[in-house]
Formats: sequence, C-alpha cells, structure tokens
Amino acid sequence: MSALDDLSKLPPPAPPPISPALEAELAQLRPVATRRPLRQLALLIAVSLVYGAGLIAMLTVRGDMHELPMGWLVSAGLAWLLGFLVPITLATVPRPGSVMPRWQLAGIASVVASIALIGLGLVLHPAGEHSYELGWQGVVRGYGCLANGLETAIVPVVLGTIFLRRTLPIGSRWIAAGLGAGGGSLGGLVLHLHCPVADGLHVGLIHGGVIAIAALLAAALVPRVTEVR
Amino acid sequence: MAEARDLMQRYCDGDAGAFRELYALVAPKLLGYLVKMTRERALADDLLQQTFLKVHRARAAYVRGADPLPWIYSIAHRTFIDETRKHRRAVVRVGEVEELPEVPAGLTGESEDRRDEVRGDPEMMRAALDALAELPAQQREAVVLTKLDGKSVAEAAEIAGTTVGAMKVRAHRGYEALRRLLGKSEARPAGGGS
Repeated sequence: MSALDDLSKLPPPAPPPISPALEAELAQLRPVATRRPLRQLALLIAVSLVYGAGLIAMLTVRGDMHELPMGWLVSAGLAWLLGFLVPITLATVPRPGSVMPRWQLAGIASVVASIALIGLGLVLHPAGEHSYELGWQGVVRGYGCLANGLETAIVPVVLGTIFLRRTLPIGSRWIAAGLGAGGGSLGGLVLHLHCPVADGLHVGLIHGGVIAIAALLAAALVPRVTEVR
Repeated sequence: MAEARDLMQRYCDGDAGAFRELYALVAPKLLGYLVKMTRERALADDLLQQTFLKVHRARAAYVRGADPLPWIYSIAHRTFIDETRKHRRAVVRVGEVEELPEVPAGLTGESEDRRDEVRGDPEMMRAALDALAELPAQQREAVVLTKLDGKSVAEAAEIAGTTVGAMKVRAHRGYEALRRLLGKSEARPAGGGS
C-alpha cells in the first residue's frame, strides 16, 4: 500500500517543549540507584529461604521424615524449590538488554507450577509409619496448612513487590502471579518438610493449592504497587 | 540504540542535560506514534508529557545497559490505554479539511519546516490516516508500530505487552482491513472525502 509507505517515510513531528511540571522536577534532579535485578533476586531468594527455614524450625520438622523414601523426599522437595526459583526469577530478572522482566514466561511458569505441583501432590504421596491420612476430611481441615503456606509466601511476594515498585508498564498481573506462585511453592516446600498428613487429596489440593491461591491473590493485589503511574 | 542507553544512564546519574538529549531523541518518534494512535495532536502532546513524567518518576527502575526505548514506548502505550479508558474520548475525525484541529500538520507527522516538501499523495495519505482511525485500537497499534514506525514484530509485541504471535495476527488483520478500506476510498471519485 503506497499510502502507508508514504506515511512511514514522513519525518516525525516536532515535539512540544518539556512541560513545566517536568522542568520543575528536573531542576531538582539527583542521581538514583538503578535497579539491579540479579542482586535483588539473590537477596529475595536468600531472605525467603532463611524465613522458610525459620518457619520450619518454629513449626517443627515432620515426625515421619526418617520413614519416608529418600528419593521421594528429595525429588519432591526439589520440585517445590524449582517451583519457587523459576517463577521468581522470571518475574524479577529481565532478559539481557531489557528493562522489563519476562512477564509472559512468568505467567506461564505460574500456571505450570500450580498445575504440576497440585498434580504431583495428588499422584505421588508415600506414607511413613507415623504419617497419617485424612481423606476429604484433610482437605476440609487443611486451613492450618493453607495459612502456614500463605504466611510463607508473604515474604517473597512482598520483597518482589518492593523491588518492582512502580516499574512495570505492562504485564504486571502476570509478574505478580509469578511472584505469588513462587512464594506459594516456597510455602509448599515448608509444608512438605513440616506436615505429616500423607493422603494425596490433602497434599495435592491444600499444599499444592497454596501456589494457586498465592498466585491469584498476588495477581489481584500486587499490580496496584508495581504498575508505573 | 547505544545513544539512548548512554543518555539514560547519564540521566539516572543526575545529568539533566542527558534527559533533554534523550527527550530530543525519543520524543519525536514517540509523538508520531501517539499522534497516529489518538488522531488528536493536543491529546498526543499531553500523553507525551505524561509519558516522560512517568519515565522520570520511574527512572530508578531502569536497568543499566538495557535499551530504554521499548520500556518508554510501553509506558506511552499504557498511558494511551489508561487515557482512552478514563475518558472514552471520541476519536477526532480529521478526514475533511474544515475539521482539521489546531495543528493540522502534526497529524501526518510533518514538522513545520518540512511541511512544503512534496512527498507522496496528500489525499492518499489522508485517506490512509482516516482508514487507520477506523481500525480497532489493537490493530491500529500493530500497524503503526510494525508498518509505520518500522519496529520488528518482537519489539512491537514487547511494547504492547502481547505475544509475538498475537502481534503478527493483529498486524496482519489490521493491514488487511486497511487494504479493504483504502480499496474502497481509492474506488471513489477524486475529492469524495471520507
């Protein structure tokens, strides 16, 4: 279309002078510390893990730990840890050369982590001699685990929100979901090491559900703080 | 875009002159984008100022070494979306000469000193701008960014906050719709208006 080609060749318009409001702010311009995503990520991970470890110490480690298959204990723990690290990294660290974090991947990671870890809990749940099962009752009475998991999620979500405060013009809901899913996975990891309830419904729907709930809550609340205004 | 990076870094270090240079470098392109999106020069000017005010207040979010342009464009995109949602302003149609607003030259992107240069058919360009205004905002943005501003599909997707695939679809549909609209206007007798 030649008309579009002609339009694309037009020189750009002359912009207006800088507004008085901005000139006033420029008059008081001071150096600012720019965002350092990797440093922030390292701090976020370190503080969250220390906080999670503190919570486990406070809540006590599950009593059936020594009876559980080591392979399951470690691999499920690693899955929870991965569910924490991947969405948190994607939600806070941009790809090289970019200012904005990878919100699309963070969003995908939050959905995948929620589904995968709920599924993992439902399917793989070996019990030790001192593990106990509750069935549907365990789901109904799972509010204690839900509360503990969400309490754990608060720290990574709040830290991530502080680091991303007023930085995101787009994709802030997906970034928030990534932060929430990451925090929820850390909550799941804490519950994995604390809660001795062994049935799949409890582990899948309550422990895994922490991720989905944290992601949804974060997606609803965090963008108010992280969007550029 | 090493220049924009360098200017942004100096600006974050407290150099107001670097901000002015960055403004001179980026504002014309950004204004061109906003004018084509809003079809209203005064509103585009206002959105441009809002965008730079937001950039200024969010400058600590800049990551050193990164290209600031997609981020600044995204802020402009967000500002435009927020403004249209807030006010649901009617699109100002400028297809007819008597409806031209106060700065008509700005609508086609021509700066004052180059207004008299002959380039392209003015009627066709006006028809193209009118056709552009007929498109849904997402398709209009896709066409403006990829066809008029020369951004890659990936860059346009990053600015608009969508996927590369969705941006391709929007650009394709927008381009096809423009082709249909311009085909209609080309079929009309000369001086037929919008």
